[in-house]
Amino acid sequence: MTAAFPYLSLIMLAPALGLLIILFLPHDSKRAVRWVSLISAAVSLLATLYVWQAYDRMAGGLQFVERTLWVKSLGIYYYLGVDGINLPLVLLTSIVLFTGVWTMWDLKHRVKEFFALMLLMVVGVYGVFLALDLFFLFVFYDVSLFPMYPLIAIWGSTRKEYGALKLTLYLLAGSALILPGILYIYFKSGLFTFDLVMLAKAGLAPDVQYLGFFLFLFGFGVLAGLWPFHTWSPVGHVAAPTAVSMIHAGVLMKLGAYGVLRVGMYLCPQGLIDWAPLFAILATVGIVYGAFVGLAQTDLKYVIGYSSVSHMGLVSLGLATMTLGGVSGAVFQMFAHGIMTALLFSSVGHVYDSTHTKMIPELGGMAKVQPRASFFFILAALAGIGVPCLASFWAELLVFINGFKVYPVLGTLALSGLVVSALFMLRVVQKTFYGPKNEKYAGCVDIRSSMIWPRAILAGTILLFGLLPRLMLDTITVGVAPLVELFK
Amino acid sequence: MNPVAPSDFVLWLTLAAMWLPFISFLTIFFITRTQLALSLAVSVSCAAVSLLAAWYLLLGLPAAQPPVEFKMLWMAGAEARISYGFLLDPLSRLMLCIVASISFLVQVYSLGYMAGDDGMAKYYSFLSLFAWSMISLVVAPGLLQLYVFWELVGLSSYLLIGFWHHKFSASEAGKKAFVMTRLGDLGFFLGIIVLLLHLGDLSILKLNAQAAAKLSAGLVTASAVLIFMGVVGKSAQFPLLTWLPDAMEGPTPVSALLHSATMVAAGVYLVSRLFPFYAASPDALMVVLAIGTVTMLLSSTMAMVARDIKQVWAFSTVSQLGFMLMGLGAGSYFAGVFHLTTHAAFKALLFLCSGVFIHHFGSNDMYDIARGGGRRLKVPMITITIAGAALAGVFPAAGFFSKESIMGALAGLPQPGWLAAGLAGAAMTAYYTSRLLFVLWFPRQIAAPHHEEHGHGEAAAHSAFGYWAMGVPLLILAGFALVLGFFGDGILNFLHWGRPPEFFHHVWLAPVSLILVACGIGLAWLEFGRKKAAQAGFLSRLPAVEALFANRWYMDAFYRCMLDYVVYGVFSRLFTLNDRRVVDGGVDGVCRGTVGGGWLLSFLQSGLLQYNLFTMVLIIALVGLYFLVMH
Repeated sequence: MTAAFPYLSLIMLAPALGLLIILFLPHDSKRAVRWVSLISAAVSLLATLYVWQAYDRMAGGLQFVERTLWVKSLGIYYYLGVDGINLPLVLLTSIVLFTGVWTMWDLKHRVKEFFALMLLMVVGVYGVFLALDLFFLFVFYDVSLFPMYPLIAIWGSTRKEYGALKLTLYLLAGSALILPGILYIYFKSGLFTFDLVMLAKAGLAPDVQYLGFFLFLFGFGVLAGLWPFHTWSPVGHVAAPTAVSMIHAGVLMKLGAYGVLRVGMYLCPQGLIDWAPLFAILATVGIVYGAFVGLAQTDLKYVIGYSSVSHMGLVSLGLATMTLGGVSGAVFQMFAHGIMTALLFSSVGHVYDSTHTKMIPELGGMAKVQPRASFFFILAALAGIGVPCLASFWAELLVFINGFKVYPVLGTLALSGLVVSALFMLRVVQKTFYGPKNEKYAGCVDIRSSMIWPRAILAGTILLFGLLPRLMLDTITVGVAPLVELFK
Repeated sequence: MNPVAPSDFVLWLTLAAMWLPFISFLTIFFITRTQLALSLAVSVSCAAVSLLAAWYLLLGLPAAQPPVEFKMLWMAGAEARISYGFLLDPLSRLMLCIVASISFLVQVYSLGYMAGDDGMAKYYSFLSLFAWSMISLVVAPGLLQLYVFWELVGLSSYLLIGFWHHKFSASEAGKKAFVMTRLGDLGFFLGIIVLLLHLGDLSILKLNAQAAAKLSAGLVTASAVLIFMGVVGKSAQFPLLTWLPDAMEGPTPVSALLHSATMVAAGVYLVSRLFPFYAASPDALMVVLAIGTVTMLLSSTMAMVARDIKQVWAFSTVSQLGFMLMGLGAGSYFAGVFHLTTHAAFKALLFLCSGVFIHHFGSNDMYDIARGGGRRLKVPMITITIAGAALAGVFPAAGFFSKESIMGALAGLPQPGWLAAGLAGAAMTAYYTSRLLFVLWFPRQIAAPHHEEHGHGEAAAHSAFGYWAMGVPLLILAGFALVLGFFGDGILNFLHWGRPPEFFHHVWLAPVSLILVACGIGLAWLEFGRKKAAQAGFLSRLPAVEALFANRWYMDAFYRCMLDYVVYGVFSRLFTLNDRRVVDGGVDGVCRGTVGGGWLLSFLQSGLLQYNLFTMVLIIALVGLYFLVMH
């Protein structure tokens, strides 16, 4: 059904408009820059919330559709729409963007450029999640990747040039697989259209799907942190400034998994069936491996980075099960992990900004110095180890049940990752926040009252969907159900 | 019996009992944390209402009330449909009452014990969280809801054990408890998945009634044993028992709560909850029985040499939980549940009494407490003796009756070995309990009363309110520890809907076990009680054995080694090395290769015309030669 008012364009273009306004603001009006960014993020968030509540879950399918022919000769459409799969991810992006901008309120260095690049990146992210046209999807995908380089290289820390370069090269290498994949499908389908929905109905030959899915799996998989193409992610997380880490780990990595789901699985279901065992093995290795490597890290941000590798492995495992529960769990996990990691990075960001260190051995006893930052970190860490009544528990539950059902051995192995991840997260909590009051940092201030709100929004989201999982899952299942029909 | 829907009154009453503690948690943690008095009022009044509701649900419903079930859909993700609600049958009504009572008494007691602590409001919010999780676990109508709250019980005990997290030992103990129980929970979770995939419905009533008919025997055994792994972790059974003695790093009232009605009781409760399911598989029952027996014997030996008063009780908890599992494993549902009930009363009492001593003397060592003049504190001294008698199984205290019913169940088994182990355990229990009591009652030299040594919160220690807040719960629990044994028949009838199975009573059993208990007490008297006693156990003459027992059979050392050398030393190190060298190194190698290749190729761009021409001619010549040869 077609929308009366282009809400999706509003969501996507509000940051673009904010970006335009910022470009015309003078360099030294930092206040105005911040407010423009925050307001544009708020407009996106409000529009997303409206779409979230107005989406008809009984009817399901694509809604709020906007479809206009753009280039006729090539079959390119400006085609946006939401269903149960991308709606949670758009919500995730809006929440993380809004809280991320707020978290960076105190930034002093090159404020205008920072917020401009951040908004540009988010336009790309929204574009990927909303676009149903492969051409637009790919363009937006690259739009979302490119601002990462300056954002990390200029505002980052700890080997920032290396981290930025590595990340960019990795992700561009991924793109280099995706573009041929898209063109391959485009020509082999014989339809000469980039319209995703039409292509999915084309019924591609099994060998085309085989190669196509391979390209999409590894092309997008790089961004999803699929083992063994994950090493860019911890390095990049560590180097990036707080809000960029939040968006990067919280949202950007989901673009990869979403790409595998929306492009790979949707267009090449037969290809997934062929590649699923390899996909599941890589996912399981990532889950266990990420947890063990995380155990050995001494840098707080590296720890979170490797926990992301482990958690994104769960997303991949869920997708590889090809079942309704597993794929729904994977989508839920994308959402839950995004919110949780954003909260982790925003708390660590505060600790780092005030103490100027993120090395675990130098910290310790921070709970007495910064109780608020500690509370948020611990809550997110507990969500990360799958404590019930916090959002990720339900996602992990579904992924594990279906993982075990489809791949009993891999499922059991992945389960054992739960113990290791509990060990390493609690170890970090203990070493960083517990212990006698840290006199060295006694003067470091806690999060001030107005800056609690962005963290409280994230924490509240974790609790809300943890206590009432149906709010999220009922939407996701509606979107996933038609997809898994393709695998039968 | 088919379940019925609750009447409106029962529905709201049960929901109140379940949700008031959670509301109290949220209110205190997020709103009233800075106002201590208000927080305490919220927490204690919520616990009181919850307590009244629980007692009404136990006694107010008709005796032959069929199970009451209420369910709402909590989460629906394809195969896994989790309902949220409650199931009231005799077992859950009894347990609900135990949990609500103990947690209310602990909250009252903590008013005195924790007075003056900075984090007192936070402490009460965690206590409420604990009560909420445990109550929701107890009344869970389905296995998945039970699992959810099972994990939350683990979380609450993590938070409370590590409550004084500025102490390294406390945060370490909390972490250890969480990770070790998590290890067992893996099995539990796998068991749930297996059942879910084969049955599709995890309602406890259906599981108990139909699992045996619908599943193959092997599958029942496998899933029952997997679920039992969770019990091993939660109830601190062999081989995952070492977290519990460390868990006494938490405030003492927390230990009372943890050891009697919540956390560790959850494990035994789970086996009782699924008892018909377990009973369908004799092999699974045998596993329960064997693990219970091994645990009971091992931890009794550990308790015989411990000096720390809380540690003695911690080991005794482990061994009593082993007793309960032996009762269940021997096929007597009633014996296990009855011992769980009486144990809740006297173990809570033991810890709360010890808390008074620790609070007063600032030491956990029983010899220090005795020398400081512990016996001058009349109320705790008398109540700890009553509780000790119950633990040792002395007639007419409650422990005697419940232990007797377990022995009766063991005597019914074809192999006499189990009964022998049980009797040996009873004798050891009597020995280590009376050892501690004699040390307290008959100190060698008493120091003059002094008041410079105190635990935390001295301010309130001497106030009359603090004294009575701590004293009254002791007296109430002591009453229960004395009389609960005489309600055995009532509980038996209640649990079996008024139609108890026939028991074969062994007339010789009670005298035999009483004689063994008397031997244990007598030995302790000889070594610790009488005037000339050296107050050193016979084990001190066997240093190797004593060291073995005191070091917990080196189980901790074993886990430490595994963690250091296998988890950190091998997996974690190797994977990290692999990440740096192989994965990352490989990529960096590709980068270097690209840069190096560019450097090599750059020599071609020399700008010297003769080389370019030479190369051109060479290539044309080679191509020409190729075509000549081919054709």
